[in-house]
Amino acid sequence: MLAVGIGHYLTVSAILLVLGVFGIFLNRKNIIVILMSIELILLAVNLNLVAFSASLGDLVGQVLAMFVLTVAAAEAAIGLAIVVVYFRGRGSIEVEDVNLMKG
Amino acid sequence: MIAAAAFYVFSAIMLAAATMVVTARNPVHSVLFLILAFFNAAALFLLAGAEFLAMILVIVYVGAVAVLFLFVVMMLDINFVQFREGFQRYAPIGATVGAVLLIELTMVLTGWRFLPEAPQWRSAPIPANISNTAALAEQLYTHNILLFQLAGLLLLVAMIGAIVLTLRERRMPRRQIIRVQLEREVRDTLEILQVPIFAGTDEIGIRMRKAISEDRGEAAHEGAESPMLAASHAQSETEGH
Amino acid sequence: MSAVVMNWIVALPELVLAVCGMAILLLGVAQKRENPLLASMLSIGALVLAGVLVVSGSRGQGYEGQLISDAFSTFLAVLILVGAALAIMLSLEYNQLQRIYRFEFPVLIVFAAVGMMVMVKATNLMSLYLGLELQSLAIYVLAAFARDDLRSAEAGLKYFVLGCLASGLLLYGISLVYGFSGSMDFARLSRAFATPASVSAGLVVGMVFVLAGLAFKVSVVPFHMWTPDVYEGAPTPVTTFIATAPKVAAMGLLLRTMIVPFGHLLAQWQQLVVLVSIASMVLGALGAIGQVNIKRLMAYSAIGHMGYALIGLAAGTEAGVRGVLIYLLVYMVMSAGAFAVILAMRRRGMAVEAIADLAGLSSTDPALALLMTIFMFSLAGIPPLSGFFGKFYVFLAAVQAGQWTLAIIGVLTSVVGAYYYIRIVKVMYFDEPAARFDVRHPAISIAGGATALFTVLFLAIAGPFISAADLAAKALFG
Repeated sequence: MLAVGIGHYLTVSAILLVLGVFGIFLNRKNIIVILMSIELILLAVNLNLVAFSASLGDLVGQVLAMFVLTVAAAEAAIGLAIVVVYFRGRGSIEVEDVNLMKG
Repeated sequence: MIAAAAFYVFSAIMLAAATMVVTARNPVHSVLFLILAFFNAAALFLLAGAEFLAMILVIVYVGAVAVLFLFVVMMLDINFVQFREGFQRYAPIGATVGAVLLIELTMVLTGWRFLPEAPQWRSAPIPANISNTAALAEQLYTHNILLFQLAGLLLLVAMIGAIVLTLRERRMPRRQIIRVQLEREVRDTLEILQVPIFAGTDEIGIRMRKAISEDRGEAAHEGAESPMLAASHAQSETEGH
Repeated sequence: MSAVVMNWIVALPELVLAVCGMAILLLGVAQKRENPLLASMLSIGALVLAGVLVVSGSRGQGYEGQLISDAFSTFLAVLILVGAALAIMLSLEYNQLQRIYRFEFPVLIVFAAVGMMVMVKATNLMSLYLGLELQSLAIYVLAAFARDDLRSAEAGLKYFVLGCLASGLLLYGISLVYGFSGSMDFARLSRAFATPASVSAGLVVGMVFVLAGLAFKVSVVPFHMWTPDVYEGAPTPVTTFIATAPKVAAMGLLLRTMIVPFGHLLAQWQQLVVLVSIASMVLGALGAIGQVNIKRLMAYSAIGHMGYALIGLAAGTEAGVRGVLIYLLVYMVMSAGAFAVILAMRRRGMAVEAIADLAGLSSTDPALALLMTIFMFSLAGIPPLSGFFGKFYVFLAAVQAGQWTLAIIGVLTSVVGAYYYIRIVKVMYFDEPAARFDVRHPAISIAGGATALFTVLFLAIAGPFISAADLAAKALFG
C-alpha cells in the first residue's frame, strides 16, 4: 500500500502543520501570507487523511480529503473577498494596523 | 526502492517550498512556492495510491486557488517592504510555538499504533478490482450524498459571499450618451424670441435659473435690454440614471 | 453495518430550508428592484416552516449513520431556528438605516441555519465538519457585510483568520482520530473506545485538537480572543445572530461529540473542560468590568456564560447535559432581548453603543429601561428571572457529580459578574439623562417584549421546557 511506513507520512504532515502555524505567527502583518499558511495547514490535514486511508485500506479518508479541498477553495474565495473589502477601505492589508478596536 | 526515494525527494521539496511560502519577502514568490508545494503534495498523494485526489489537487489548487491568490496579490497595490518590519519581533514567539507543537506531535507519532481492531470499524474498504476514481465516485455519490450536497451549498454560500462583498454597481451620475449628443439640434437648446424694447425678463415670461443668472449676471442684464434675447433653456445635457 | 439505509426523511427540514433559501435567492436576483423586506419575510416564513417540520418530523438515523434526528437535535434545532428568525427580524430597521439593506442578508442567515441544523444532527465527523463550515462561511460574510464600514471589514477579517485556524486544528484532530481508530462514525468510535486498552496517546491528542477547534466556535478561553472585536465590529444584527444561534449549535455539537464518541474517554477530557470552564468564567467576569462599549461588554458576558454552560459538560452526567440545554435556551432568549435593546439605541438615525448613552434612560424611555433591567438582572442570575434557573441547573449537576470546585467558582464569578450588569442598571436609573433615543421600530418592541416576557415568566412556564431538555439529554445518553 504505502512505499514507506505511515510514520514517515505523518511526520511530514506534522512538519507541514507546524510550518503553517509558524507562518501565521511570523507574518502577523501580511494577511495574504496568513491565508496561504492556512492553506498549508489544510494540506497537512489532507496528507494525513490520504496516508491513513492508504494504510487502513479505507476510502473514507480520501472522501473527507476531497471535501476538505472543496472547503479550502471556498475559504480562499471568501477570505480574499474580505481582504479586498478591507484593502478598499484602508489602503493596506496589514493586520497590525488593525487598531480601530482595542482589546 | 524507487518509490521510497521518490517519497523522500518529493517531501523534502514540499517542506522546503512550504518554508519559503512563510518566509519569502515577496508575496508573489510565496504564491509561486505554494504552487510548488502543492505539486509535490500531489506527487505524495500519487505514491499513496490516491490518484484522483492528486489530479484534483493540481487542478483545483494550482489552477484555481493559487491563481486567485496571485490575482489578488497583483490587484491590490501593496507595499511589500513594510511587511518585513516586525518579522524579527515575532520570529522567536512563532519558533517557540512551532517547536513545542512539533515536539509534541513527534512524541505522539513515535508512539504510533493502530487500534488492533481498527479494520473492523472501517466503513468503506478499498475495493480491489476498481480504479481509485471509480471507487471514490461510488463513495461520493452513493454513500455520501448528503455531504456532497452540503459541499455544494457551501460553494454557493462562498459565491454569494464573494459577490456580495466585492461587486459594486457603478452608479455614474453623468454618463455620456453619444447618440443623444449627436441628435441634438439647435432648436432643441436655443429659442429665439421677439422681445419688445425695454421689456424685462419678467414681462416676457423667461426666468433664468438662479445659478446661471448669478454666474452670468452681467450678460443677463445686457440681454434684457437688447432687442433680441437668446435664452438658454439650461436643459441638462446629461441623463441622470 | 447497523444502518445501511438512506432514510433521507430525517433531513427533511434541512432540505426544505436549503431549497427555500435558494428560491429566495433566485427571487431576489430576478427582481428588478431589490426588495429586502420581501426576502426577509419569506426567510422568516421558511424558518418557521422548517421549525414545524423539525417538531413534527420523523426521528431516527439516516444517510448511513451520518445524521440523526432525535430529541436532542429537535430541542436545539428549534432554538437555532428561533434565534435565526429573531436576528432577521431585528435586522430590518438597522440594515435599512446603515445602507446594508440587501436581500442576501436573510438568505445567508438561512444557509447558516441549515449548517447549524446539520451540526446538531451530525453523527459522523465528516457531516460535523461540513455543517460547521457551512455555518462559519456564512457568518464570516455576514460579519463583513457592512463593507463600507472599516470596523465591519476588520471584524470579518479577524473572525475569518482565527476561524480558519480553528477549523484547521479541528480537522487535524479529526484526521488523527480517524487514523487511530479507523472510523469517523460516532457509534463505531464509541464502540471502539469502549475498551480502555485501545486508547493511545495519539487518540487523546486528536481529541484535544477537536476540542480546541470546537472551543473556538463557542468562544471560551483560550480561544476567546476574537469575541470582543467581532462583537463590536460586526453590524449589530449580525452580532445578535452570532451571540445566539451559532453558540447554541456549537455547544450542541460539543456536547454530542464529547458524550457520544468520546464518552468512554471522560477521564481524559474532563479535567480539560473543567479548566476551560473556570478560565472562561473568570475571564468573562473580570474582562467585562472596564468596558465602555456595550457590545464589547456583551462579548465578555458571552465568554463567561459559555463558561457556566460548560460546567454541565464537565459534570459529564445526564443531569449536566440537561443543565446545559436549559442554560442554552435561557441564555439565547435573554441575550437576544438584550441585543434588541442595544439595537434600539440610536439617535438621529445613528447607532450609539456606549454604556454612557444609556444614562437616564428611565426618564426618557421607561419601557426600554425596564426591558434592559430585566435582561441585565437575568444575565446576572438574580432569582425569579430565567437566568437564575439556567445557572441553578448546571450548578446542581456539578454538585451532584462531585465537582464542588466548579460550583463554588461559578457562584463567586456570578457575584463579580453581577457588578457590571447592575452598573448598567444604575446608569439607566440614577445618572443624568442623556438625549432621548429615536422612535423604536415595532419589530424591536415585539422581539424585546416577547423575550422579556419569557425571561420574567420562566418560573411559571418552565415545566414543558425542562421536560423537553430532560428527554433531549436522555436521547444523548440512551
